[in-house]
Amino acid sequence: MIQVDQLTKVFQDKKRGKIIAVNHLKFNCQKGKIYGLLGPNGAGKTTTLRILATMMIPTSGKASINGYDVVKNSSKVREQIGFLSGETGLYDRFTPRETLRFFGKINGMDNQQIDKKMDEMFQALEMEHFKDVRVGKLSTGMKQKLSIARCILHNPSVLILDEPTVGLDIMTARTVTDYVKSFKDDGKCVIYSTHIMREAEKLCDKIGIIHHGRLLAQGTLACLKKEFSLEDLEDIFFKLIERENHLR
Amino acid sequence: MSFGNIKSILLKEIVGAVRDKRTLITMIIVPLVFYPLLFIGMGYFNQVGNKKSENSVSIVALLGKEFAVQLSEHLENQEQIKIISGVDDAVVSLKNGDIQAIIEIPPKFDDKIINNEPSQLLLEYDQTEVKSRVAQKRITQAIDDYSDKIISQRLRVKNLSEDLIHPFNLETKNVASSEKMTGTFLGILLPYLIIILIFAGAMHTAIDITAGEKERGTIATLLVSQISRLEIVIGKCLAVMMISLSSMILGLSGITISLLTGNAIAGSEAIEGMKMGISFQAFLLLFLILLPLVGLISAVLVIMGIFARNIKEASSYITPIYMLTIFLGIISISQGIELTGNMFLVPVLNSSFVFKEILMGKIFWGHILTTFTANTIIAGIALIGATRLFNKEEVLFRS
Repeated sequence: MIQVDQLTKVFQDKKRGKIIAVNHLKFNCQKGKIYGLLGPNGAGKTTTLRILATMMIPTSGKASINGYDVVKNSSKVREQIGFLSGETGLYDRFTPRETLRFFGKINGMDNQQIDKKMDEMFQALEMEHFKDVRVGKLSTGMKQKLSIARCILHNPSVLILDEPTVGLDIMTARTVTDYVKSFKDDGKCVIYSTHIMREAEKLCDKIGIIHHGRLLAQGTLACLKKEFSLEDLEDIFFKLIERENHLR
Repeated sequence: MSFGNIKSILLKEIVGAVRDKRTLITMIIVPLVFYPLLFIGMGYFNQVGNKKSENSVSIVALLGKEFAVQLSEHLENQEQIKIISGVDDAVVSLKNGDIQAIIEIPPKFDDKIINNEPSQLLLEYDQTEVKSRVAQKRITQAIDDYSDKIISQRLRVKNLSEDLIHPFNLETKNVASSEKMTGTFLGILLPYLIIILIFAGAMHTAIDITAGEKERGTIATLLVSQISRLEIVIGKCLAVMMISLSSMILGLSGITISLLTGNAIAGSEAIEGMKMGISFQAFLLLFLILLPLVGLISAVLVIMGIFARNIKEASSYITPIYMLTIFLGIISISQGIELTGNMFLVPVLNSSFVFKEILMGKIFWGHILTTFTANTIIAGIALIGATRLFNKEEVLFRS
């Protein structure tokens, strides 16, 4: 599970001075659940997820994955997580088979485990026909399938997905969201950042609305609707954003 | 630290580099195809140009022909000199290239020769024109011959032997073996070439696997894997080292093929009689000096690549370092410069001088050990620096 407590990240910018990207964030996500981090561009979603993925160190506060602190036990945390973003992060000069073998090895798997897992995923993700084609020649949809395979190859129990459908066409985006649902069914704990309301509504068990690094509201979709007496998530979102902007 | 992880990164980078067409062009096609073609072309055109200049007849204006009848005859008898007289404005003709030289004979030249008085001739030519330079050489030779003839005549008149003006002959003999001659020739050029080829070979790969990873957004997938930052940096540095060493070997092979083919075509004797005299010990020492140097250059390039936001920025950071390396390499080419004690602590400069010494058959253990130790320590510091940069989020996620 993911636990975030008073997480804060401050950047120092030469021109703009102190920038609070993440401001005392507090939330948690349980096994078999999807927590949606909903916010506009620059809200602090990516920074939060980078901290959870041990790529950044928080200025203050704590975050842990399956009980391992993201700062003190970063290598243990990396064993638990799979990370996927809109940028496919794939090597154009390698085939899907070579890509998965490489990521399997650097994630501590042996050849036998990698072969077994690769065969399973090539079938499940319908990648058989392009498994030996170089990534540079694949379509965006094919690349995103490979990214999903790369992300779950070492069977992580926690998945950190940073706007995984951004820039994708509707068909590919659907493939991604279908897989996110299947992760939940497999009992994985998923944190999913997005600025697409429809995705958050469809996928997430719990939604946290974030703006200027602050968590403005969180809860299940039903709870949020009840709290704000509004039926549409988009309306709730804009109401919160307007209120926040007014307060600033 | 897992060697398996380092191996995985190393193999990934090597395969990636080999599959990159740009690497293949710079590593294989340029040294093995373009270098020989360039040298053959240069050799061919040089040969054609030289033959043309040698075969052409030099047109020379002779002013004051009437003051030196015998000299004029002597010059007219030269096969490759055509004497013309009565030119209106000889200097303008020379500048226009209509004639290649002007010989000006002062009045009473013949009288002065007969009376054993000194006299003065003036030869005008255009240093910037090949044909004019050829004419100057031919005329100088012809006039020297004529001068020798007069001296011989004067000595004969006075019943004196020619030995009077040639009291002794100086015979020079080169005792250097052909191996040493080759070593000296290589010692001047090779260290510079080695350093430039290492740098040029490492540059593209180093940028591609650091700044390139940032630009393509693949760096995050590496950072969230279970591999440590130190393993990533070591794997990447080793890959750059291997590519740059291969590039250097291919580059040197290309240059050797070029010299052999180029000279064969041009018929030059420049490398005739060359013998490679590098002993196994010298070869091992060269390799010993080479390794920390390649490691150092690779680590510095990797640092630059990690620090840069993208490939373009990395290239602009690396250019001044490349220029500095070329400058240090040039110092080693300069003859007569000797490094003193502490100067062997300066990377690149130290290696190029030790290469030079080894190739010339001089083994100075002090220089070798200082160079090896200094470069190894600096390479280690650079490697630690690269790893630290890989841990700095403000560097990795700069935008």
